[in-house]
Amino acid sequence: MKTLLRVAAVVAVVALVLAPLRLNGYLLNLLYTTVLYVALAYGWNIISGYAGYFSFGQIAFFGVGAYATGLLVADLNWFWMLAALAGGAIACALAIPLGYVMLRLRGPFFAMGMFGMAQMVRVVVTAIPATGSGSGLFLPPGSSLTGVYYWTLAICLGAIGLTIWIDRSAFGLRLQALREDEQVAGTLGVDVTRAKITAFALSALIPGLLGGGYALFLTYIEPDAAFSSRLDLQSIVMAILGGVGTVWGPLVGGVVMTQISEALWAKFPQIYLMLFGGLLVGLLLALPRGIVPALAGRRRPR
Amino acid sequence: MSPSTGSGQALLEVDGVARAFGGVQALYDVSLEVRAGEIFSLIGPNGAGKTTLFNVISGVLRPDRGDVRFMGRSIVGRAPHRIAQAGIARTYQIVRPFGRLSVVDNVAVGALVHVRSLERARRDAREIVDFVGLAPLAERFAADLTLTQRKRLEVARALALRPKLLLLDEVMAGLTPSEMDGMADFIVSLSARGISAVCGIEHVMRLVMRISHRIAVLDAGRLIAQGDPQTILNDPAVIEAYLGTPSVPA
Repeated sequence: MKTLLRVAAVVAVVALVLAPLRLNGYLLNLLYTTVLYVALAYGWNIISGYAGYFSFGQIAFFGVGAYATGLLVADLNWFWMLAALAGGAIACALAIPLGYVMLRLRGPFFAMGMFGMAQMVRVVVTAIPATGSGSGLFLPPGSSLTGVYYWTLAICLGAIGLTIWIDRSAFGLRLQALREDEQVAGTLGVDVTRAKITAFALSALIPGLLGGGYALFLTYIEPDAAFSSRLDLQSIVMAILGGVGTVWGPLVGGVVMTQISEALWAKFPQIYLMLFGGLLVGLLLALPRGIVPALAGRRRPR
Repeated sequence: MSPSTGSGQALLEVDGVARAFGGVQALYDVSLEVRAGEIFSLIGPNGAGKTTLFNVISGVLRPDRGDVRFMGRSIVGRAPHRIAQAGIARTYQIVRPFGRLSVVDNVAVGALVHVRSLERARRDAREIVDFVGLAPLAERFAADLTLTQRKRLEVARALALRPKLLLLDEVMAGLTPSEMDGMADFIVSLSARGISAVCGIEHVMRLVMRISHRIAVLDAGRLIAQGDPQTILNDPAVIEAYLGTPSVPA
């Protein structure tokens, strides 16, 4: 069973790498979007799934990454991958002071606080004259969808690898302990502040890196696109549907959701959102802990 | 067994600690001293301030006044994890297991203070889980344990820190009489291994008298007596406040 899964994983990765050679524009576009959503869900899953700090604002870091990349490419003529890397680094660095403040809040207060924080970051970023404010920022053409796809795929695989590592590491155990009971984790020797901020920074790095690719994919960024609440909410729903705080939840949830959404859209274009919403509610009622935990059962933790 | 006094060296010194919650004064000017290797019982009815004192010592709460010294150094204002790393472990009166983690992983969290690798921490944790008699449940979710098993898990997690001082908050509560005897023997065995224990206990005087080297009595936030079991039993203030005056004079 284990070897079978390993073989399947290798085949899937090879197929994803070779996909741009075979797929037409529409399908590659769909694949890019799926990979982007899954990667975002993995980013969210670290702070919200493993550490239990449910965030509605990780899109702030995506927007920061997108705008940083846009500015570096448009104004300073940086090579876009380098610029996107810098965007990720900036988002990650920004997360440390923000996390220090925000992670004092808990539960719904943290969730709402992060929602507000994302709006604030959006206002600040778009107030910088160089970002074109509300009217947006044009990027020089020249990057291909294929390049953006590979960038996003690499980050997605990296995020999965990071999650596998966290799940098996001492760091991951500390995060789960503080998720279960922060005060007890502290009296058992866990430096909870440090663990939370590290998790938060990693949860910012991933969208930060993805934002740059998205900016190039759009070739034009404006606040609503870069700080897209649709991207934010959908990736969160995917992680929840797949299983919060599990290694494979974001992947399973992401693939299931994008496929269902696409199929419904193709067959019932007028009422697809209604059907999709209904189906989602049904799935979550049937599997409140998500698909992965439901499949794994409760035989063994981990 | 007649308990001998500890080695005499002060391990923990609580010096004039006071703490209020809004208008409620939970602790007034409490001073006590726990010596290396001794079993120190803190007795008093519910609401006397035992848990508040444990919260102050373990860094969960800051005292409004007073000082807490561990091995001669003040630990007031230190983060709880640093106090845990220094060698003070505690259990919680209302058991608080990490429900969605396995029993072994619950214990491994504490073991990580001393070893870097999770594998080593889990191995150490298994030994401790074995030691407290939870080996058959090692891989189960902590949420699946019974109350008695959770009490043992609380102790196991605390032991994983390899503490010099163990604060046991109402470990006897909810146990059957024979389980209480088992727990008492267990605490005595810890003392034999050089771990000092402070037991916060509401009642079960029979056991307190049997295992304690020294006893302090807390009543409504005030320390009303401190001394060896015999002294405590004969202390008029204790008899009045806690043990009760005989209704029929002898």
